[in-house]
Amino acid sequence: MRDRLLQTLEKACGVDDWRLRRVVATSTQYYLARRDPENERSARSEYLQVEVYSDHPAHPGGEMSRGSASVTLLPGDEAMIDERIREAAFMASLTDNPPFGLPGPAVYPQVLTADRVLEREPARVARDLADQLVAAVDREPGIALASAEFFVDRHEVTFENSRGAHGQATFTSLLLDFVLLARDEAGHETESHVELRRRALEGVDLEGLVRRQAQFARDGLRAGEPDTGRYPVLISDDALRQLFGTETFSPLALRSGARFKFQRLTPWEVGDSIYDGAEATGDPLTVYANAVLPWGLASSPFDEDGLPGARLLVIEHGILRHFWAPQRYAEYLKVPPTGAFGNLEILPGSMPVADMWQGVGPLYHIVAFSSMMPDPVTGNFVGEIRLGYERRGNELRPVKGGSVSGNLFTDLAAARLAQETVMLGDYLGPQAVRFRELTVSGK
Amino acid sequence: MSERALPPELEAIRGRLPDLVAGLERRAPYGAILATSSSALQVNVNNREQQVSEGPRSQGAVVSAWNGSFLQERAVGSLALDALATAAHTLADELELRPGYAPEPGTPRDEHLAMPAEVDPASRTVREKLDLCRRYHEAVRGLDPRIVNAAVSYSETAEAKVFANRTRLLSQAVYRIRFQVVLFVSDGQKVQRDWLSRDGTGGLEIASASAEELQVLAAEAVALLQAGRIEPGFYDLVFDPTVSGVMAHEAFGHGVETDMFVKGRAKAAEYLGKRVGSPLVNLLDDPTVPGAYGSYRFDDEGEIASPTTILREGVFVRGLTDLYSAFKLGIHRTANGRRQGYDRKAYARMSNTFFAPGDTPVEELLGSLERGVYLRKTSSGMEDPKGWGVQVEAHIGEEIVNGRRTGRLFSPVGITGYVPDILASVSAVGNDLALDGGTCGKGWKEWVPVSSGGPHLRLKARLG
Repeated sequence: MRDRLLQTLEKACGVDDWRLRRVVATSTQYYLARRDPENERSARSEYLQVEVYSDHPAHPGGEMSRGSASVTLLPGDEAMIDERIREAAFMASLTDNPPFGLPGPAVYPQVLTADRVLEREPARVARDLADQLVAAVDREPGIALASAEFFVDRHEVTFENSRGAHGQATFTSLLLDFVLLARDEAGHETESHVELRRRALEGVDLEGLVRRQAQFARDGLRAGEPDTGRYPVLISDDALRQLFGTETFSPLALRSGARFKFQRLTPWEVGDSIYDGAEATGDPLTVYANAVLPWGLASSPFDEDGLPGARLLVIEHGILRHFWAPQRYAEYLKVPPTGAFGNLEILPGSMPVADMWQGVGPLYHIVAFSSMMPDPVTGNFVGEIRLGYERRGNELRPVKGGSVSGNLFTDLAAARLAQETVMLGDYLGPQAVRFRELTVSGK
Repeated sequence: MSERALPPELEAIRGRLPDLVAGLERRAPYGAILATSSSALQVNVNNREQQVSEGPRSQGAVVSAWNGSFLQERAVGSLALDALATAAHTLADELELRPGYAPEPGTPRDEHLAMPAEVDPASRTVREKLDLCRRYHEAVRGLDPRIVNAAVSYSETAEAKVFANRTRLLSQAVYRIRFQVVLFVSDGQKVQRDWLSRDGTGGLEIASASAEELQVLAAEAVALLQAGRIEPGFYDLVFDPTVSGVMAHEAFGHGVETDMFVKGRAKAAEYLGKRVGSPLVNLLDDPTVPGAYGSYRFDDEGEIASPTTILREGVFVRGLTDLYSAFKLGIHRTANGRRQGYDRKAYARMSNTFFAPGDTPVEELLGSLERGVYLRKTSSGMEDPKGWGVQVEAHIGEEIVNGRRTGRLFSPVGITGYVPDILASVSAVGNDLALDGGTCGKGWKEWVPVSSGGPHLRLKARLG
């Protein structure tokens, strides 16, 4: 199909540039309800996404503008290639955007994105993990397995564009989704839900994960509500990753993106503080957009346009240093193109986690939110506490219910960052952040 | 009114699927095939850019076989008959048969079921849809000098499915439409946003908003620049239908999906036939609501759509099932077995979930609040089926004093609490009803189109 498609694109009327992305995906999935198999399945799909670019005057005699549109070709679409490209060219001709180009050939970095073990024997990996999980849960007193899902996926991506850029990469991923139930003598039950996504099996400590989540489930049984007020709040691990968000929803990534800047949705300027007017008194925040992080979920040797993956300093000591920029928005803002954001990397701070948890209190440590999606435009956030801990003097008690709210940008200004770092799929950074004061809504 | 016919790629194989099922059932005690085709169009216009593009397009099928204990499946990204036949043969060969009963295939039916559209999207050109967005964009971009960007988007998804098992051969075709206007405003320091959404199954008639609605949107977006954060605590509240809907969806929708019962994850399993809320509360899930965004005619496991009463006068009546959980629990099926796509498993999922309207006029409901907050426009929510906690985020809270809206705004506002306490606190139910479409995940994945809604509700809950 590719050769035929390239011939069509070369001769198609109204196509001034193009890019192709062919994806072949396989997925092996295994599900447990309690300890019993609920479903076992495999899936295969393939598609070719074609983006075409059309240059034309915005109006008769006006300046040249560029439009783009994409269409998807599926296996069996060979006979429709001409028609589909004509449709794409027509759609591209309808829109009038400022002109921009595509990157040319580049040397792409070597990035660890495919785990041979996951590629070779996905079904065996899924079943072995299920066995290991069941055995690990059996070792935890008072804990039962409610459900588990194992996805072992592989994506093979081939990329090329009309300016000669060309790349190929394979990505694997592993998804472990399981729920543990804790039950006390009175018959009360609580659950602890884990969703872990990783590129490779290496580094997945299932036994440790079960041990930690089992403790969370048990603690949930005796958790009470937090108090209401403004308190120091420590946020760690997955709760922290939720707060910082992934590339698509990360306020730090979106606000520092050239697209947001071009669309006038971010007030940030290079050289200015990112704390939205708040005085910087905490550990200075340094952020990298890292698309080449080994085994990073958002790592790739090249982005959609064909720009090489890179590690870019975005924020240094709380000051915006660069807007990260795909080719199009780099040209619009007249800044260097950097490619996709990739993974969020935050440099560690000065405080050991153990010290963060000191103080007379009350002090809250949140390990799981029900949901946490900070508004990327305003930075405002609010999330229900699924599980946390309250420290008052020497007393420690688990808490759940109620909520924690604040503003990511202003509250980071006074936050302390942990010395210890953690890798959570698409986040590499401090294991915990201690906010000087957030609003807790509880009793 | 027009009804969408089955697209040719599905029409070509529709009549051949029963043979594949028969082949599968030479080994399997129960077999089924779901073939799907979907395509989409997305149009976006904002102050700085315009985009017209095809959205995600996919074609494929999943072959399912019961092995005596659970379903084994093979999914292929193709509608070619030989690819489906290979998947069916491979699955039959690999089936790990175990002793046990099998699900019943249902009463015989052979039907094509479509959803009506007033203005068939296929009858309008792409240029007309772009022009529609441009017109709205022109209408809103200058409504206030503080508008720094205005984004208008239109999307249509053409979704078609064929399901076959031993007794059923069903097909359906539907358009799901979303139309949104988002205004970004700035006072030079802060940026805020507000939005207006329309959605449904149907046609282009869904993509409309009045000049007055756009004026209100602009005024509210600008007012949000002054919004503060709410003082945490318990408040007397009025929910608008979007907040009522997300509360319905998160509080008692996910918690009655019966796959959660099989897994021991649902506290609701202990409350069948018991009171969980105020007698004023009636909650339904209904995939047959005409024009609603989450509507369909049959689910992805061949069950014909029909409404389910979840709560009647505050009492938990029944849950929402997929094939596996209904079979394991020995309960009647409801048409809620849904997949994100042919390449994903079916789960028990909601469709259109809403509180039934009551008889209190909305003005009376707001006027009855001495001091409280009127919560509008939800931005997110999350369920907790085991702990019966709930989180709903409202984009706007407006102070009410002596039954009057003061114009003092809070944003965002988190609503949390224990589900039975919140449902028990419902003290008045509005006589209105509106549904709001969206995409629902099971945890953080398995996205399906749904809607949620209800009337205005008066109740008490904790805000933060």
